[in-house]
Amino acid sequence: MTNYKPQFYPGTTTPSKNRRKYMDPSYKLQKLRTISDDDLVRIMGHRVPGEAYKSTHPPLEETGEPACPIREMVTPTPGAKAGDRIRYIQLTDSVYIAPVAPYVRAWMYHNRWRGTDVGVLSGRVPLEMRERDLEKVAKELVETEIFDPARTGIRGATVHGHALRLDENGMMFDAQRRYIFNKKTKEVDYVKDQVGVPLDKPIPLGKPIAEDELRKRTSEFHASFEPFRKDQELIEWVQRIHMLRTMAGNDPESIKGV
Amino acid sequence: MSQDKKMFIKALRKKFKETPEDMYTKYYIYNAWKQSARKREFFELSKKLAKQRGIPGYNPEVHLGSPMGQRVLMPYQLSGTDIYCEADDLHIINNAAMQQMWHDIRRTVISGLDAAHMVLQKRLGKEVTPETVNNYLEILNHALPGGAVVQEHMAEINPGLVSDCYVKVFTGDDELASEIDKRYVIDINKQFPAEQAKQLKAAVGKKLYQVCRMPTAVSMCCDGGTMARWAAMQISMSMIDAYKLMAGEAAVGEFAFAAKHAEVIEMGTLTPWRRARGPNEPGGVPLGYIADICQASRVKPDDPCWVSLEVISMGAVLYDQFWFGSYMSGGVGFTQYATCTYTDNVLDDYTYFAADYVKKKYGAYGKIKPSWDLIKDVSTEVSLYGLEQYEKFPALMETHFGGSQRAAVVAAAAGIGISLATGNSTAGINSWYLSQLLHKEDLGRLGFYGYDQQDQCGSSNSFSWRSDEGLPFNLRGVNYPNYALNVGHQSAHSGIVQAAHAGKGDAWTTNPLVKIAFADKSLVFDFTHPRLCFGKGALREFMPAGERTLIVPSK
Repeated sequence: MTNYKPQFYPGTTTPSKNRRKYMDPSYKLQKLRTISDDDLVRIMGHRVPGEAYKSTHPPLEETGEPACPIREMVTPTPGAKAGDRIRYIQLTDSVYIAPVAPYVRAWMYHNRWRGTDVGVLSGRVPLEMRERDLEKVAKELVETEIFDPARTGIRGATVHGHALRLDENGMMFDAQRRYIFNKKTKEVDYVKDQVGVPLDKPIPLGKPIAEDELRKRTSEFHASFEPFRKDQELIEWVQRIHMLRTMAGNDPESIKGV
Repeated sequence: MSQDKKMFIKALRKKFKETPEDMYTKYYIYNAWKQSARKREFFELSKKLAKQRGIPGYNPEVHLGSPMGQRVLMPYQLSGTDIYCEADDLHIINNAAMQQMWHDIRRTVISGLDAAHMVLQKRLGKEVTPETVNNYLEILNHALPGGAVVQEHMAEINPGLVSDCYVKVFTGDDELASEIDKRYVIDINKQFPAEQAKQLKAAVGKKLYQVCRMPTAVSMCCDGGTMARWAAMQISMSMIDAYKLMAGEAAVGEFAFAAKHAEVIEMGTLTPWRRARGPNEPGGVPLGYIADICQASRVKPDDPCWVSLEVISMGAVLYDQFWFGSYMSGGVGFTQYATCTYTDNVLDDYTYFAADYVKKKYGAYGKIKPSWDLIKDVSTEVSLYGLEQYEKFPALMETHFGGSQRAAVVAAAAGIGISLATGNSTAGINSWYLSQLLHKEDLGRLGFYGYDQQDQCGSSNSFSWRSDEGLPFNLRGVNYPNYALNVGHQSAHSGIVQAAHAGKGDAWTTNPLVKIAFADKSLVFDFTHPRLCFGKGALREFMPAGERTLIVPSK
């Protein structure tokens, strides 16, 4: 096991390679934009900028820990140590070659960060963490190449839009219109927080990523540029997993040479 | 297949003004919910109701953030028909045909007459002849809807409220059938194509079964567990009348025992305590039963795809909309995605693609031995075809805007393809699971958590023999442990069962008695054309049973 080197993901196509890259924690996600800590806090809408973190229990050093081998092995995250409440950020990824697809997002979260509680649905990926830990991760989620202001959305509720056609500005549909395309600046401005509460002032998140750039960065297949059927290695990997699972459910002894 | 020949194109053109291949559109310009005639109707009615009752009700303006209709609130085509409706019209509470389909299933109990006749002949020394059977059936047709036959001072039920209640019989013995009053007979020879009738009569043999339809009004007021009890009570009373028996002697109890236990076939089994419902409730209806209840197979036996699609529509309404969407959760959530399998001809297109692929490459239906090579080939090809349609036609992707919709439709076609090829529904469900895994890696997404949990572990239980997992696929249903929360799957699963048998030309899938029991023109719902019937319900052209106009004030 000492020589084990994770392979992360099979496949020969651009989306597969990008999946492999994003899932690999040794790969540093490329920063494409800057958002201030306070603005991110405003968009998430859990606390007012500058406000102290609310807690659900006293700091661990005050409460003391019961004797527990698991607790001895696992170092608490800063948020857990301080007793922060659990809060969320939820992202929606368009099917039109957004940088990340929902399952890739979850695999990436689990590989890269500790203390994450992730769910995956077809149109959204909630991430729940201790609040200060969440804010740190959220910054990376929004500032780097895995976020496109036009095809990735920060949405707490009324999330549908991932499978809808794009609007005339190439933006993913959002029934609550939390963000708008600013025709003067050509940037995307957030005007509401995650659950649709209007913000005091628009928060720009930068320009949409250009189409040719998205094609290089995306981890999504699409018939129009890189069809899934082209990635024979990935297809055969899926078929093999299915076959082994089926045989194991029927008669595990029938599986030889794995 | 050329783009224009895709079966879903017509519906896409009706739904959106842009061409189906267009990736761009405009939003926020449709006047929100007011674009929908149905929602405007709801709103106007609600205003009147609020005045009448003094409590506010339906108000689309209270929606979180912004009201519905920021995009096109698209119409839906009932697949296989020319009927278009709004999504609201397919909610079970808004659709009388859907309600009647369920009532007609729930109020059905099949009960053998042979045990009762043996008791009459051997224990009580009574003669049983076609004449006495006819007399008994006349009496039971009076008693079953709520007429008294033994007691001399009884409250009875207004026959106008229960006109859908009756009893009929069937047998595989042509001679016996010919001697029974034809008003009481489900005639297998008349209802089924000759080859199917032959198979069914051989399965039933000389046995005589009665099919009791309790009143829809009873189905509305009580539950599925009522049905066998109601039937058994009235059967016992009718036996006393028909054969001049002592009311209360021990032998009479045998009739009730036969009707409640020994010879009864209910449409659904009990559900476990944590989902507790009695028999004849949707949670206990096996997949193979819903396939047999559907009568499409006797209308177009040469079109196994159409037959399977009709079954799927019933499965969607029964399992997804009634059971999961109402019994298990309630509210509005499940209609929107349960309808994907029977609207806009999308699954139809994928299913016929699968069938053509099998026919062209392997030559025939129902004759190919299941193998990994076959499952991998057909399942992968059909799944990729389905998924690529969403990518080639953004309007189609928007039509199935939830991942669970896409997953159900694509995997259904993949499962049907293998069922058709092999005649083996368990191989069919294995193909479904491969499709789901391929889908997940292709799109990087599948359904919602509760949807795809089962699909990510389904490969391993498809051929499992473990006691809590190993069940032949025809006998699974939402009562099967891993399918207890299997929202959005059971509709397609019932089609996978049906396809395995339709491809082989089988007259039934799981229970010949169930298949015959529903080959009955006296039923209110038309089980030969369920999708058309649901469409009539959507257009408010379907007249259900169980109306109470006789006992309520006239308006």
